[in-house]
Amino acid sequence: MSLNRRNFMELAAASTALTAFGLGAANAQDDDTIRIALAANHPRHSDPNQTTQGPDNWATEQMYEQLVRPDDGRFALTPEEYLPVLATEWTMSEDAKTWTFKLREGVQFHRGYGEMTSEDVVFTFLKAKDFGTGRVIFANVADAVANGPYEVAITLHQPDVNFLGTTVFSLNANIVSKKAYEEIAVEKFTTDAVGTGPYELVRYDAEGGVYLKRFEDYWGEKAKVGNVECLYIADTTARTLALVSGQVDMIEAVRAPGWIDSILQRDPNMLIDMTVPGSFNTLHVNLNRAPFDNLLVRQALMHAIDREVVAQALAPMGGMLVGLQPSFFPPGLKTEDLPEELQYPYDPEKSRALLAEAGFPDGVSFDALCSQREDYSSTMLIVQELIRPAGFNMNLIIGDHTAYHADNRSDKNTLAMHASSYPPIPTQIYIQQLYSKAEVKADGTGGGNYSHYGVTIPGVDDLLEQALSATDYDTYLDLCRQIELQVLRDLPLIGLSTLSYTIVRNPRLDLGYEVESGYARWRLHRATKA
Amino acid sequence: MARYLLLRLGDAIPTLFLVLTLVFIAMRILPGDPALAALGDGALPEQLADFRERMGLNVPLWQQYFNFLGGVLTLDFGRSLLTNTPVLQLIGQNLPYTIELTLAAMLMGIVAGIPLGVMAATNRNKAPDGGMRIFSLIGYAIPDFFLGAILLITFALNLGWFPINGAGSDFVSRLHHLFLPALTLAFVKAAFLGRLTRTSLLEVLGKDYVRTARAKGAKENRVIYKHGLRNAMLPISTGLGLSLLSTLSGSVAVELVFNRPGIGRLLIDAIAQRDYAVIQGGVLVFAGFVVLINLLMDLVYVVVDPRVRVK
Repeated sequence: MSLNRRNFMELAAASTALTAFGLGAANAQDDDTIRIALAANHPRHSDPNQTTQGPDNWATEQMYEQLVRPDDGRFALTPEEYLPVLATEWTMSEDAKTWTFKLREGVQFHRGYGEMTSEDVVFTFLKAKDFGTGRVIFANVADAVANGPYEVAITLHQPDVNFLGTTVFSLNANIVSKKAYEEIAVEKFTTDAVGTGPYELVRYDAEGGVYLKRFEDYWGEKAKVGNVECLYIADTTARTLALVSGQVDMIEAVRAPGWIDSILQRDPNMLIDMTVPGSFNTLHVNLNRAPFDNLLVRQALMHAIDREVVAQALAPMGGMLVGLQPSFFPPGLKTEDLPEELQYPYDPEKSRALLAEAGFPDGVSFDALCSQREDYSSTMLIVQELIRPAGFNMNLIIGDHTAYHADNRSDKNTLAMHASSYPPIPTQIYIQQLYSKAEVKADGTGGGNYSHYGVTIPGVDDLLEQALSATDYDTYLDLCRQIELQVLRDLPLIGLSTLSYTIVRNPRLDLGYEVESGYARWRLHRATKA
Repeated sequence: MARYLLLRLGDAIPTLFLVLTLVFIAMRILPGDPALAALGDGALPEQLADFRERMGLNVPLWQQYFNFLGGVLTLDFGRSLLTNTPVLQLIGQNLPYTIELTLAAMLMGIVAGIPLGVMAATNRNKAPDGGMRIFSLIGYAIPDFFLGAILLITFALNLGWFPINGAGSDFVSRLHHLFLPALTLAFVKAAFLGRLTRTSLLEVLGKDYVRTARAKGAKENRVIYKHGLRNAMLPISTGLGLSLLSTLSGSVAVELVFNRPGIGRLLIDAIAQRDYAVIQGGVLVFAGFVVLINLLMDLVYVVVDPRVRVK
């Protein structure tokens, strides 16, 4: 084939026509669809018992429901704050080992799978105990028994006064249809959801996202917007452009200093929704490594970190931790209530004096590994600068996120930052990060206690085990307070800051409630779109 | 010819085997725990141990290697560690997007690049030639991901002519989604092919037989296209092969910038999450394409240049 000028011009004209064809279509907006762009490349699962990727929970949150849940946009700070959902009432036995739930009648599963009954609830709890990502939490469930079609009794091995928070409001306790699960089979159910929530699955596209529509037979008030599309856009620029261009209504934000300001500069009308506290950013001090085996050095480090500055640098997403919990979370500790010696105000002079007393008048130098992910690297770079004047010369080695976690789990770090979201159940962070049974091991088979607390030095195992078997909530809180104080005395783990999970939202989408707190996902059934 | 083809195919087998082995070793040397990447850093030791056992990650490395090779021979690439989806299915879902992007970019690159090269060669040291040289300099210098972002901001965000991300569903929508990513890759192709065409054609146009054709009174178009361009096609066809390979690898960055599905994006995600089975399958596909394109180029030489056939 030969090309002459005329052929070339014809091709150019065809290209222009193709361009013109696209005019307007790309920005066509559908008022009956909420589109959210999530920070991942692909969905992995839509079965809440198997989800391992945070963004997937946005779709499951719309399709499934638990027996109880807190009000939209917040956590339940006490057990009394849980609201009835698929259960209408519940009781706890005196020994906190038997929980009985009365179920809501007339609740329908999606796609004609029939009414939800006690059989489905029993199936869900026993399945989560045997299979799925929550088996460790559900290991405390001894049995689940149906007392007629609308009542279920769940018995526990150990008392749990926080059962609603620890287990019933967990992802794995989203009620699934036994009939659907058995008909569809476990492998396909992973991407073919059948729940009772206000939205039902239309299409699970492994490359594009998860597409939902309003469930017309929903037991409660029906969703106001007809469709929800959970789209996956991992690239930050592409995600931001999708929001700014109006192609999506909400995006997951980048949790780095200055990012919110930059998006508001571009469009000041954008709305920011944040869960407070969000992630708990903690700093594990490896007690097996000199010089941090010395309490004076750990105290010096604590005085060298201006935690208020860390939180401010991450503003508006950053917040303060008192000990290992924010002040409004149980056990409700406030800095001013702490004994003076455990308040550790920012004081580089005192820090230097403590280092000198510990035998390091010229300061200390050490390496610390850090993830390149924005929230990790920005926080640790701030810490690096803060502690330098006090005599801590921290050489940060910033690398791949996956490798960073593997190195932490293999006991290769000296000061290891950890970021994880926790509900208002303080024992969860203690179990994961302070319990001797979770001690990190060099062969990678250990847990998230990177400081070796409770092994290298006595820890809080006794107090924790008492808290976990408390039969009343006040005793539980009191024991948690004692744990917090003990950790502040020993300093194996430093609470650096909180970092809110953040969504940027186009103002034409009204959620129907304020987001104050909660997990990194929220329901969209009350949302309206202008 | 058949013997030649068989020989070339025979050469490909050790190449693919070497690639598979290197990828297997590289992934195991790379720090990072796939179980931790899949379950998150909050996972408890029991959950991690259970995951490793289910996914066959707790058996000795040599056993994993032979399991992997055995799987490849039976076209079973295993399952994704993250989604439990068969790797072959993931490749099947993503490959068409990468192929359509690569072919569209190549087509656009050829359609723009070769005529530009001809125009430059036939107007040597004049304005079109200077313009072509500047264009090719820019094309060589600008990285795909940067050009993609510029096109995205200009034509998708500010002008709203094209969608920002995705790949579309029906035929027209797919073309619409394809245009900007393909244009991004085609820009560099056009610059490369234009420069190559110019150089090759200039060399041929200086040959005696071209002078003879002109002396015999052949029309200029006939001299350029029949005698000139046709004989300049051998180096251009080599360039096309190289260009196709670089387009394929360039698609990785473009798929990320435009958030398009494709093998590149699948691979990047798998590498970040240490999804060994997907990485191995994806790299095998890329390696397979390299071998295939090289083979095709060998065949093109035979067709274009009869001297190769004689040798």
